Amino acid sequence: MGALLRIQALATNTFREAIRNKLLYTLLGFSFLMIASGVLLATLSYVEMDEILQDMGMSAIRFFSAGIATFVGIGLIYNEVDRRTIFTILSKPVSRSEFLLGKWAGLTFTVWLQLALMALAFAVVSGLAGAPLSSDHFLAIALIGLELMVLVAIATLFSAFTTPMLAALFTLGFWMIGHLTRDLHALSQQSDLEGVAAAGSWVFQLLPDFEVFNKTLEAVQGLPIGAGEVSLAIVYAVGYTGCTLLLGSMIFSRRDFK
Amino acid sequence: MSTKAIQILALVGFVFLTGWAHARVPIETRADLGADFVPAPSAVAAASLGFDAILADYYWLQAVQVAGAQSAIDERVAGHLGRLVDVVTTLNPHVGHPYRFAAIWMTHSRAQVLEANRLLERAIEYHPDDWRNRFYLGFNHFYYLGNYPAAAEALEAAMELPGAPRYLPRLVARLKSQTGDIEVAAVFLRQLLEGTEDEAERAKYETGLDEIEIERKARFLDHARAAYRELAGKDIERIEDLVTGPFRVIENFPDPEPDAIPDPLRRGSFWEIEGDRIVSSYLGARYEVHYSHFGGHKGALYDEHTNLEPDAAEDTGYEHAEGEGA
Repeated sequence: MGALLRIQALATNTFREAIRNKLLYTLLGFSFLMIASGVLLATLSYVEMDEILQDMGMSAIRFFSAGIATFVGIGLIYNEVDRRTIFTILSKPVSRSEFLLGKWAGLTFTVWLQLALMALAFAVVSGLAGAPLSSDHFLAIALIGLELMVLVAIATLFSAFTTPMLAALFTLGFWMIGHLTRDLHALSQQSDLEGVAAAGSWVFQLLPDFEVFNKTLEAVQGLPIGAGEVSLAIVYAVGYTGCTLLLGSMIFSRRDFK
Repeated sequence: MSTKAIQILALVGFVFLTGWAHARVPIETRADLGADFVPAPSAVAAASLGFDAILADYYWLQAVQVAGAQSAIDERVAGHLGRLVDVVTTLNPHVGHPYRFAAIWMTHSRAQVLEANRLLERAIEYHPDDWRNRFYLGFNHFYYLGNYPAAAEALEAAMELPGAPRYLPRLVARLKSQTGDIEVAAVFLRQLLEGTEDEAERAKYETGLDEIEIERKARFLDHARAAYRELAGKDIERIEDLVTGPFRVIENFPDPEPDAIPDPLRRGSFWEIEGDRIVSSYLGARYEVHYSHFGGHKGALYDEHTNLEPDAAEDTGYEHAEGEGA
């Protein structure tokens, strides 16, 4: 119970720190602009205008959310080390694992909050443009929230042992690969070499598969999103986040700050 | 002058300089430059990083711009449009109109029509309840490939679908009896015209319907000429013989131009005798139902998908087209 309270305190502190980050508002502002620009983009077509508007909105949400998760997340621990505040925190009865979990929870809450704001902007723009909105749109956005949860965990992991620049590169790399793993897996399975196919399978299991959380197309086209798929996505997100944070804790616990 | 004033002046100067330079840069789009490179659909899909839907929209808007930038869609542009739509429908196979958009323009060669049919078959796979894709497929088989059994098959599948026109069963029956004629083409074209709001597409179908109207009038004159022969025991010497002299078989000539054409656009066309046929100078040739000139030889019509034997198809009375038409 005490550990949970300590993590909560750290998360609250991280949240307060994150919402003071000007980058967050810049990216949020750009996301609103992009969501609204879907209206203009849709006018370039003479059919399927609602779909174009909502594709643009959903893509902006996912792109800028990932940007916020990455660029705010990478400085999480580095800033504490740079400002030497980490020594004050760790001198208290707070374990390094709790510190890492608190950082992750605070940033996840921050990106979920900005996601909710973007979803609101998306709903307003869709409503004003007369594009149909259904619960599936919000389900797709909620799944983006799960993707962000995993991405924040990855950013936290890299932030635990490297510089912000490298952490940003690694996190973005993972995000890109996370959307490519299915294709890489399919390609490797076509190889005549057994080793390549086996390696492809291993890589596919090891790296994140962010396409699990990508139901944008289904939501916009009005196609059903299966409850089973959503349940599995939740389990996958929790499992992958857990693994990543555990690995991060193990690395972070051995880190020397001197 | 203070430093701040100098800075503001410099800023204004740079703004004007930039604006001046930019205004002189030629504004050319990829379409203007004739750049028709389209990456392989699988490559775009792999590189989309989950942004499939918005990338599909991007390529769709590019297709709309390419079509809109051309005064006429020639074979090269149609091929470009087809490749763009292939990317669009690979990234987002749930789109609706782009499949039919490609089918409208990809009509310049047999290969293009077959490619359009491949896209329409993909459309049918993802929209099994939409009768329009099957209708377009049937139209392509009938109009461009002269494959009546395949056309009938496509329309038969569309008959029971929601929203399908009531005349489809009759159309299927006519196609099955191998009596595809200009009236069947007219039914197809009227339906296609009804189903589109795009100006360029409408113009294309309206041209087709105009040609059918003139063909109908020309056939009327053919009948009149046959009646004259029977009465006079000889053929007409001049086209006017049909309305003058002792064997006058008709009161007036039908208008050699489409009735709906407004007066300012009339070309002063006339009817003329070309061997056994009476032709309007408006078209300069008689209308044929489909473009069997694909590939330059009649055999090109009968591919592996065609159940008709070449000889049997010849019995239907359809000849090579002149290249004009819808």
